[in-house]
This record gives sequence, structure tokens and C-alpha cells, in this order.
Amino acid sequence: MKKRLYLELENCIGCRSCLAACTQCGGHEERNRNYVYDVNPLVNRQTMPLMCLHCVNPACARSCPAQAIQIHETGAVLSALVEKCIGCQNCTIACPYGIPKFDTEQNLMYKCDLCIDRSKDGIPPMCASVCPSNTLQWLTDEEIEAKQKQFNLDNGKWVTSMPYLEGETNVRVNLPGILQGVTKLF
Amino acid sequence: MQRDNYKNERDKYFKEIENLNHPNETLVKTHCSYCAMQCGMNLRVNTKTNKIIGVEPRYDWPVTLGKMCPKGVTAYQQVNNKDRLLKPLIRDDQSLKGTKNGFREASWDEAYDLIVKKFTELQTTYGKDSLSVYSGVSMTNEKCYLTGKFARVGLQTRYIDYNGRFCMASAAGGLNRSLGIDRGSTIPWTDVHETDCIFLAGSNTAECHPTMMFRVWAIQERGGYVIVADPRETPVARRADLHLDLKPGTDLALANGIVNLLIQNGYADEEFVKNHTNGFEETKELVKEFTPEYTSEITGVAPEKIIRAAELYGKAPNAIVMFARGIEQQIKGVDNVSAYTNMALVTGKIGRAKSGVATITGQGNGQGGREHGQKADALPGYRKIANPDHVKYVSKVWGIEPEEMPKEGVSAFEMFGLMEQKTIRSLYLLCSNPAVSAPDQNYVREQMKNLDFMVCVDFFLSESAEFADVVLPTTTWAEDEGTTTNVEGRIIKINRAQMPLGESKPDWQIQIEIAERLGRGKYFSHLKTSKDVFNELRVASKGGTADYYGVTWEKIDKQDGVFWPCKDESDPGTPHLFLDKKFNHPDGKAKILALPYRPSAEEPDEKYPLRLTTGRVVYHYLSGNQTRRIQFLRDMCPEPFVEVHPETAEKYSIEHEEYVRLYTRRGEATYKVKITEAIRKDTVFVPYHWGHEKSINLLTIGALDPYSRMPEFKTCAAQIEKMKTRAVQ
Repeated sequence: MKKRLYLELENCIGCRSCLAACTQCGGHEERNRNYVYDVNPLVNRQTMPLMCLHCVNPACARSCPAQAIQIHETGAVLSALVEKCIGCQNCTIACPYGIPKFDTEQNLMYKCDLCIDRSKDGIPPMCASVCPSNTLQWLTDEEIEAKQKQFNLDNGKWVTSMPYLEGETNVRVNLPGILQGVTKLF
Repeated sequence: MQRDNYKNERDKYFKEIENLNHPNETLVKTHCSYCAMQCGMNLRVNTKTNKIIGVEPRYDWPVTLGKMCPKGVTAYQQVNNKDRLLKPLIRDDQSLKGTKNGFREASWDEAYDLIVKKFTELQTTYGKDSLSVYSGVSMTNEKCYLTGKFARVGLQTRYIDYNGRFCMASAAGGLNRSLGIDRGSTIPWTDVHETDCIFLAGSNTAECHPTMMFRVWAIQERGGYVIVADPRETPVARRADLHLDLKPGTDLALANGIVNLLIQNGYADEEFVKNHTNGFEETKELVKEFTPEYTSEITGVAPEKIIRAAELYGKAPNAIVMFARGIEQQIKGVDNVSAYTNMALVTGKIGRAKSGVATITGQGNGQGGREHGQKADALPGYRKIANPDHVKYVSKVWGIEPEEMPKEGVSAFEMFGLMEQKTIRSLYLLCSNPAVSAPDQNYVREQMKNLDFMVCVDFFLSESAEFADVVLPTTTWAEDEGTTTNVEGRIIKINRAQMPLGESKPDWQIQIEIAERLGRGKYFSHLKTSKDVFNELRVASKGGTADYYGVTWEKIDKQDGVFWPCKDESDPGTPHLFLDKKFNHPDGKAKILALPYRPSAEEPDEKYPLRLTTGRVVYHYLSGNQTRRIQFLRDMCPEPFVEVHPETAEKYSIEHEEYVRLYTRRGEATYKVKITEAIRKDTVFVPYHWGHEKSINLLTIGALDPYSRMPEFKTCAAQIEKMKTRAVQ
């Protein structure tokens, strides 16, 4: 059963456990490959993760003159192949989310590969495994559909379950505001 | 007793997930070294080097399902850390005390000989009680139990206490007084997401116990309510349905105000109150005064919010009240605990699934470590030294005469007072770092410096070790096995993943070897393994309130932990307390307590107009002795800061990231300003994980709760001063 990374940004508590876990997958050279932002640091404690969304038609790969960015059969957009990456950094500019990171010493781009050693066998990536607040989850399409339905407010004022942000992505996102549509128990 | 239908069921979150196995590696199941969530984890061990090299989620642990906070993910990096102490250290030049300097490596024999010589000299000259033991609860039940026995039978001193006085003592006092038993939670944590309303008082849950957050958020997803009482808009308060932004130190008024409204608005469960509690009428009378307006005057919380809080908690079919150090680290911490517990007792929302009361325990074994006799007044199984029958029972287990049992000692902070008076002349310190964690640091450090002789047992050279004459290298949690008792009261198993690094030894072994050299071997030498220690603990706790007799390591493995009390081998343990509505006071009733409000030890005044409160950040644990050595955590939060509201900052003409001098009547320190609207205008906050000149405890107050003897870390009066020249850090 295919599972996807699913993000519920409302849940983030800013612990950055996802970043710590990213260094621990065993195949990431102990460098973290994603981001957690303070949304409005002088005002409140809201934070949100910015993970690679694994675009179906990824700008990073399209922009790569050396075809160093491969797409796995699961849809995961992989980190640059060491032997092909020419260090041009086109990908870091092309990505609409600013995901690819660049190692100036190795002259090499690196990015999230959804812990491909794990996710190809249905094991959740490290970030989604450890996330204490369920901001990052590893769900089937049915589970995601139920979530989208649950949080689809359809009141014309607040939209959280947008189909995609910028083009179709393998990772699905619910923006902050999911609780706006919840019916209270009492 | 009513049967508990709780099965260690794999709740809706549980998913069957296999771990990734890396080649040439094996996974060792265990739990985190840090807080009392005791998150399940697998340690990755290289089968060629037999060293711990990483971590994998433990998806099948029912409480945390593989989830870990950033401290948990990187916890294994303590084990083979470059700062580990690998050999005993001796310092011959006493003038270097209070610094890192002058230590030389020594053999265990030399270190032991020196300790025995000094201890014997001091006890011969000044009496048995000139020695003291200061312990901690970030270690296994086996170690906590043996430390109590080591002090009383090995060293024969009455002076033993532990860092739970800075952590759990007020919760223990309040729960004992209200319910007659101190098991931190009346429910298992797998109930939390199923309740309809959670009331979190003085708990920065998202930073201090992150892995319960998915359960807290799930309450809201189902349409339930989250209410948070905290002076700061912490990450959990930010999303709460209701944030009661009270002044630090005013919880007792807030709780009384809510209880008053619960009674006035008909939410009291009269049947429950009549049959299962005492004290309702007196409490009803006392809280009458706490109208929303009067409560608002004291707490600074808007009256509408107080009314709404009572309405939500009162209406909820099931509700849980949880509290933590925010309400407990006050001179009325015990009263605060009882006052919030009153909410559950008045409405009868206790003694069933999905409803109850819990303190969110701080240290990994904060629960177990306070049950088995390293508290100044306690013996194993939550027995009391003041009770002759209890002394008689434990003396028999230990093989001593009841007359030989030392009397009650004094609390952790009061030990420093006895050091000042020279009643205590020597300290055996383990599993704690009071040179960072105790309040009023200038005073505490002075007392440690003036000791005749001090031993510190640790795996890193902590700030407290800088005061020692002898430092003994102990093991990290992953190099020994044993049990801890988590936030729920569930006894779980810590497993060994690596043999001790260098010459380090587990604490229990060190204590046995010292006892043997002091000629007390006959009470200790039969304990060859930590399992032997556990089996003695089982017997010593038998028949006590915290009865572990029926708990075996095998049973823990088989049923994913055992909740105490567990009286015999056929007893599966007690996940939910009070299902039969029998509380642990002699008449079976709980106590609703009438608790008059009183102000904090130090209220703000003209000279010190701000309230200083302290707490944690998600990246560090307690005194930071462990987490400050881990790169990821240090990168995320390298130094302390002072949180200031923008309006307050404007008043002092200070800016974001500017360094300012913060001072109280006891001390001062320099901090970088963090401007945020997520704090009250009359309050400033500084995290407490740093030592030396950065320690906020240079400023905090040593005023103690009269029952729990817990210092008032959470509020004192302070003032900010703009620096004349920018400090270079």
C-alpha cells in the first residue's frame, strides 16, 4: 500500500526533532536536509517545517544540466548523484520552495530523498517517524483523503486542504487553520 | 478492587512497522535517558566494535510509538562522547576547588582508599552524620534504592536527599495529602487523547514533554478542549482553546477561583462528593471569596477567561487535570497541587478511564526514584522513617537492628544550610548538578567550596564536579540495565547496549565497593548484579504504598511495562487508580482541601518591579550537563536568553538581541534579550540549563515550601538594567 508524507502545519511545536532525526537515518552523512521556520518570532511561538514536497514534475531536476537529480519509482526526488553533480546550483534557484542545500566544500547539492532506503519498503522516513506532534505523518492515500475531507472547511473563508501548492506534489500538505472547521463536542 | 479492563491495547495510532536493519548492526530496545515520558527507542549497536552508533525509532512502544524529541534522537551521543570521564580523578590542591583545574587521573584503588580514609576520619572526629549523600532520579530504581541503603547502612548517616526536591516533591506532597497516594498519574497516557478536556497548569508541555503532544492535539481534532494556565504563551498555549495567562506564583488563587465557579454553577458531583470525599463544605466556604473579579485581581487573568475555563472543565464528560513544575516550584507548590486536584474531586472527574489527575513528571525516573528511600524521610515502598513499623520492616530486609536505622535527615536545599553550620562536612554527590540546578547559587557554591571533602560521581565533569576532591567515573544509562518508573507510574526496563566505557562503573557497583571497604560488606556483597538489587527492592517495597513485589523484569518485557501497585506475581498491575472509588486515606475518601491564598516569598516592589520565572527549552535537559555537550542541541540553543515583552523592552530602552544585566537581591547575570509578545508584560523568563556566570540560579530564591521543602524557582522579584557598553560574550 503506497504511503506518502503528509504535513499538518498547524501541529508544529518547533522542536526540530525532524531535523535531528534527518541526521540519523544512516544514509544522510549526518546532515539535515530540511527546514523549520519561526513564522513570526517577535510575536509568538508559531513554527512550521519546510520539507521537500517531492514534486511530480520537479523544477530542481528539470533545471539540472547534468541530469544529476533522479526520480525514484516511488516518486521520491533523490539527492544529486555525486558523480554527476557539477555544482552549478541551478536546482537551488529553480526550486520554488528553496529546498536543495549546497555543500561548498564538496561542490555538491544535497536534498531530502524521503529516506529512500526506508520509504521504498514502506518504512516512514526518519522525520515522520519521530515527529512528536504529528505535524509529519506517513499515510495511505485513503487516510490522507479522510484528513482532507475532515479539514475541508468549504466556507469560502479559509482553505487548508489545497490540492497542491505549486504543481502536483507527492507530499500532501494541510496549511494552518485545520481547527477552524472542527465541530466542538459541547 | 474493581477489575481494570485496561489492556495494553495498541490504540488507533499504533501501526505495525518493521525497523530498518543496517548491515553489521543490532538493535537494543530501551528507553530515553532524559524525561519521564521515557520514550521507547532502539539503540543501534555495531556488532564488530560493540559500540552504540545511532538510534532507530521503537514503533511498538505503546506510549510513544517511535516518537522522540530532539534530545531523544541525539541521546545516544552521550555514550561515546569525547567528554566522558574514563578514570577516577583526584585533586590534591584544595585551593583549586570551584575550578576545572588540578585533577589528576588515579586508579580506582587509590580513589577508594582516599574516600574511605577521609570518610572514616570525619566520622570518627565529628560523628556519623558528618557525611551526606545528595542524589538524583535520572537513574534506575535499582540505583535509587541502593543509594538510600548505601547512605543509611553503608555510610550510616541520616543526611541523604535528592534532586527531586527541585522537581517532584511538591506534587508528591499534594497528591499524598489529597489522594493518600503519590502515583504521579491516575490514568495511563494512552487515555490522554480520548479525554474531552485537558487542563494543563504550569506545563510547557510542547517543550518539556513533546512526545505527548500528538495526544493533546488529537483532543482538539475530536472537538475537545485544551486549556493552558501559564504566564507565557508556550507552543501548547498558542493553540489552546483557552490560555489563562496568569502572573507567576498565583496558581492557588486561579484554582480556588475555578473551584468556586464549578460549585456555584452546579458542576459539583454531589453523590461523588458525599460518598468519596471529605472537606467539601469547608472548601466551598473558603473559595466563595474567589469570585472571578477577585481572582482576576490576584492572577491578572481576565474574569471572562476564568468563567470560560470553569464552564469548559465543568461541562466536559471526561476531563484530565495535569500540572507540572510551573505550579509546583513555588512556596505554595503543595497547596497548588491540592487546589488543582480539588477541581477533579469536586466534579468527580477522577477514578475512571479518560478522567483524572496527573503531574507530568520531569526526570526520567522522578516517580520511581522518590519511592524507594533516597528522600530524607522515606524508606523503600514509600515507607516513612517516622513510622516505627516501617523502620522495623525495612531493617529486617536490610539485616540491621531498627535502632541502627538513622533518623530523618533534611531536604536537599537545607543540606547546604547544614554545610554552612559545619554539621555536614562531606558530600557524596551523584546523578545531580546542584552547582547549576540549586537556587541562590552564590550561597550554594560557597557551601560546596567549604566542605572538608567532596566526592562527585558523574560521567562528565559537571559544574558540581569542579568542587570535588575525588571524581568517580560512572556509566551512562545505556551501559547498565535496570528499571525506571515513567510518568504514568509504569515500571519499564532499561537495557544495556554497550559495556561501560573506559574504567567507568555503574553507581550501584561503586557504592557496594565503597561499603565493602568501610567494613559494611555483609549488607551489600550478596548483590552481584542490578537484577539482584531489583529483587531486594521488590521485597523491601512489599506491603508498602508503592508495592513492586509482583513486578519482575520478565513481566515488564511481557506486558510492555507494569503499573504499580503490583502486589504479587499473578497481579498484572494497576493502570487506572481508584476505579473502585477507594482513595488511599484510612477512611477510603479523598480530601477536598480548603487552601487560603498567600503571596509569593518575594513579590515585586519598586526596586525589583519584574517577576522572574525560569524553565526549560526543548533542546536541553535540566542542568544541561548532558545536552550542552551534544552538537545538534548546542547548535539549536547555544546560550541562555531573557524573554521580554516588547512594551517592557521599550520601557527599558532595550532591543532584541542586545545584552542586558538582570539582577535580584541574590545575584546578577548578563543575558541576550529575546523580544516576544508571548510573555506577560510584568514577567521575564530565562531558561536554567547553563552554569557558571550564565546560571539564572544565581538570581533565584531559596525560599522553600513548608511541606515539600521545594524552592520557589518559578517566581522572584527582579530588575533589568541596560548595559552601558555592549558586553562581549
